[in-house]
Amino acid sequence: MGVTCVSQVPVAEGKSVQQTVELLARRLEALGADKQGTFGVDCETYHTAATLGTQGQTGKLMYVMHNSEYPLSCFALFENGPCLVADANFDTLMVKLKGFFQNAKANKIESRGTRYQYCDFLVKLGTVTMGPSARGPCPGACLGWGDCPCVIPNDCWNLLMEFMQSFMGSHTPGIPSVFGSKHDSTYSPGDTMVQYMELFNKIRKQQQVPVAGIR
Amino acid sequence: MPFVGYLLSSVLDQSLESLLHRLRGLCDNMEPETFLDHEMVFLLKGQQASPFVLRARRSMDKSGMPWHLRYLGQPEIGDKNRHALVRNCVDIATSDNLTDFLVEMGFRMDHEFVAKGHVFRKGIMKIVVYKIFRILMPGNTESIEPLSLSYLVELNVVAPAGQDIVSDDMRNFAEQLKPLVHLEKIDPKRLM
Repeated sequence: MGVTCVSQVPVAEGKSVQQTVELLARRLEALGADKQGTFGVDCETYHTAATLGTQGQTGKLMYVMHNSEYPLSCFALFENGPCLVADANFDTLMVKLKGFFQNAKANKIESRGTRYQYCDFLVKLGTVTMGPSARGPCPGACLGWGDCPCVIPNDCWNLLMEFMQSFMGSHTPGIPSVFGSKHDSTYSPGDTMVQYMELFNKIRKQQQVPVAGIR
Repeated sequence: MPFVGYLLSSVLDQSLESLLHRLRGLCDNMEPETFLDHEMVFLLKGQQASPFVLRARRSMDKSGMPWHLRYLGQPEIGDKNRHALVRNCVDIATSDNLTDFLVEMGFRMDHEFVAKGHVFRKGIMKIVVYKIFRILMPGNTESIEPLSLSYLVELNVVAPAGQDIVSDDMRNFAEQLKPLVHLEKIDPKRLM
């Protein structure tokens, strides 16, 4: 998909997440973007089981993610750590590792929605849902913006930002932190997954309001 | 979940060429395939009695290939009539930061070696003839020495569970390699 920027969409005043997404979808279509199917990105969280810990380190969280843009792949990452790109058998391996890594099923988070193509840009507009059945309340919406032909962030960040600004105005996101170390080196799908992971973690924290009854 | 069936043997260095000649005749007609791989075995120790073992393998002579991560289960203590040693296996292709990732998960490298040899195929059977080299200085694959004066010969098939007809095919093929090589089902206890 080329260089990609993932951002959270602020919910429009007085509107629900669903209504905000519909508003943006109409705006994209008015711009002339073509609907091109759907997309899905999901993220499962694993934490080290009580059996580990002989090394005395605090339990780490490992994220295993999937992106419909890369249907045969699986991405496994640690926050501020390496991102492994593997084939779909990695999920089978995680089942074998269940004595060491436990799947925190309640933490499963995913974004699903529509893909739009506008010239060289691919825009993915989705709603974010949490929980094992993914039918829980919708905590947010997110946008993924990609410049398809370009893989060097430095070469296309200005163009991407201009395009996003024309659409999101003052809500245009800043330069993603993954670009920081990558100005002139090749952008990779793993960088997109890191952005999704950071976004999902941010949305999860926003949901952790200390009120009884909210998962 | 797939299983891999194994038959194992070895040949002395001086018998290698005869074996390769026989295999070229018996196996599928294809370009001779050689390999030079570096394998690292990682362990994850928990409170269970036995650690979790994963094998990470990379090609040293072919650039651009993904790394190969393999999980092998315990040998199935099954039917004594089965002609091959059978183990549950999961094979995963990965990006080249695999070892960093395994360490981040808590795995530690237990040992490593270099394997150099030839691969042949006959249908879904794979015949691998290879020599193991000890790595003299950890992480330095330039400085290696052979572990023995022989080549390992391995006949293996990866198949879904329950396909015992596969092990019959393996036995029939193994017959054709006698007396050069006697491929046999190794007693699992001898591997420990």
